[in-house]
Amino acid sequence: MERNPYLPIPVEVVKITTEVDTKDIKTFRLAFTKKEDEENFKYMPGQFAELSLYGKGESPIGIASSPTQKGYLEFTVQRAGVVTQALHSMEEGTPMGVRGPLGNYWPIDYLEGKNVVIVGGGFAFTTLRSLLNYMLYEENRARFGDITVVYGARSPGLLIYKDELTEWAKRKDLNLNVTVDKGDAGWKGREGFVPTVCKEIAPSSENAVTVICGPPIMIRFTLPVFFELGFSKENIYTSLEMRMKCGIGKCGRCNVGNKYVCKDGPVFSLAELDKLTKEY
Amino acid sequence: MEKRIIKKENLAGLVKKLAAERTVYAPVMEGDNVVYAALENGKEPLLEYGNTKDAPKNLFFPQAETLLRFLRTKRGMELKEDETGKAKEVVLFGVRPCDARSFVLLDSLFDQENWKDPYYIERRSKTTVISKGCVQPPYTTCFCTSVGGHPLSTEGADVLLTDLGDAYLAEFLTPKGEKLLEKWGDLPKADDAAEAKKKDLLAKAESEIKSKIPGKEIKTWLDANFEHPFWDTIHKSCLACGTCTYLCPTCHCFDITDEMKKEDGKRVRSWDSCMYWLFTQETSGHNPRTSQKQRWRQRLMHKFKYFVDNFDAIACVGCGRCVMYCPVNIDIRKIVTDISKL
Repeated sequence: MERNPYLPIPVEVVKITTEVDTKDIKTFRLAFTKKEDEENFKYMPGQFAELSLYGKGESPIGIASSPTQKGYLEFTVQRAGVVTQALHSMEEGTPMGVRGPLGNYWPIDYLEGKNVVIVGGGFAFTTLRSLLNYMLYEENRARFGDITVVYGARSPGLLIYKDELTEWAKRKDLNLNVTVDKGDAGWKGREGFVPTVCKEIAPSSENAVTVICGPPIMIRFTLPVFFELGFSKENIYTSLEMRMKCGIGKCGRCNVGNKYVCKDGPVFSLAELDKLTKEY
Repeated sequence: MEKRIIKKENLAGLVKKLAAERTVYAPVMEGDNVVYAALENGKEPLLEYGNTKDAPKNLFFPQAETLLRFLRTKRGMELKEDETGKAKEVVLFGVRPCDARSFVLLDSLFDQENWKDPYYIERRSKTTVISKGCVQPPYTTCFCTSVGGHPLSTEGADVLLTDLGDAYLAEFLTPKGEKLLEKWGDLPKADDAAEAKKKDLLAKAESEIKSKIPGKEIKTWLDANFEHPFWDTIHKSCLACGTCTYLCPTCHCFDITDEMKKEDGKRVRSWDSCMYWLFTQETSGHNPRTSQKQRWRQRLMHKFKYFVDNFDAIACVGCGRCVMYCPVNIDIRKIVTDISKL
């Protein structure tokens, strides 16, 4: 029989980055304890894993690193419940576990040869960052057309991946648009809500796909903008979150209609979501 | 398939013979209830009973089970032991055909291609199931024939016993079942008369199931009516106690929690229920199912639509436990029947 899917893979926290001013969002870099586990952990952008803290429990979190980044996994986690609070109090060098990769992933094959618009809000930029770094990877970049990113947060201090945002801004093969609801004294960038910015830059729907993640309110106001631009529901993708335990479609709590977000999702096109019940 | 005859007075002895070399779980009286329990040395199984109060899924999918053990060390928490690989060969005796059929339904979920559950699969593969057919269905609440079952169904059984009146016809249906025959030694082969009697009983037992509900017939309505005023009418008296899901042979939802005792810890899987608000409560405060209406709809949809979509079978075997034990008399048969009239 294959590996026990309930058995966490041993990893070690090797780097912790505090992402935001409020200090409640951190990125954890985890390195595999065993070389063979690293080789067997084959994932794609958009997948997630159960972060496993013995004695506390598990929490399902999207993988924020890209499979092109070898030797480690990264997860950006907000301090919220029992497991994530324990995680936030951990130090570098601490052993923990990971179960995964779980779920499906962003439609990489479908995105090939197309222009890709990435829209993210708040700290829901984690698996989008994975996708972006995957597409920007030297050997992959030519497989995709124009890449446009709209990323917004409430304030400058709440933007995550600040160093990368600076690096991405220098690239000529990427149209990066970072915005904040309201800037501060030091902010020289754009101000405005994500839907408004999307409307202003008006990416063409010609041979293009939008991938969107963010708070429900942002998604609600952004989708009409993309419909107006001519994007069909087949060409807009998002990722769902639900309470989960097993991650393999058994424990029964993350279903939307007959689909389990943990194994049939988390990535769905709007066309697919239309066929499901609105219970999420 | 081997078909043999077991004299009525010999059945208890044959079960005891098995119990001498491995654990046999069988119906026994516990207080006022018939429940499954391990037959301790020399103890005889109950042979006359309606059905057990608890569903036998507990054998493969225990109400609480340890998945992993871990230890607090100087370095932090470390894995000590994976609990797989410890299941022993057991016999499950006296399972009613509705309950035996629930194993087939649970198999389709826990032994699903690409998403296999090793704990369940291991116990299931090491268990030999001896079913006892319902020549006379035990309760008026029995409705197995409406959801794909039959009172003398062989589904999920390794051996099926059918009461022919003066003796049992024993059908050894699988290689696992035939292994029991080796232990039992010479049992007389079933003759044509016994076979003819069984054939008569098949029709008779089926006709004895008087409670009928629409089964797959309501799926078309469910497909189209996630939003419908009818859903506002079914949950009002529900106490959200979860009894229906705990006694259900096919309900399989579970929670996973960690427990610590000094330096020793374990990760435990335990039954959970879609009837509880906490089941889907997210840390953010968001809950996709905030009302008992939504939870009842989920329970019914899961059994009569989602499971049918995913595994082409209704996730209900018609045992009637939820009907018998609901403290406020909510009757799933009535709900389903009402839906068929909408």
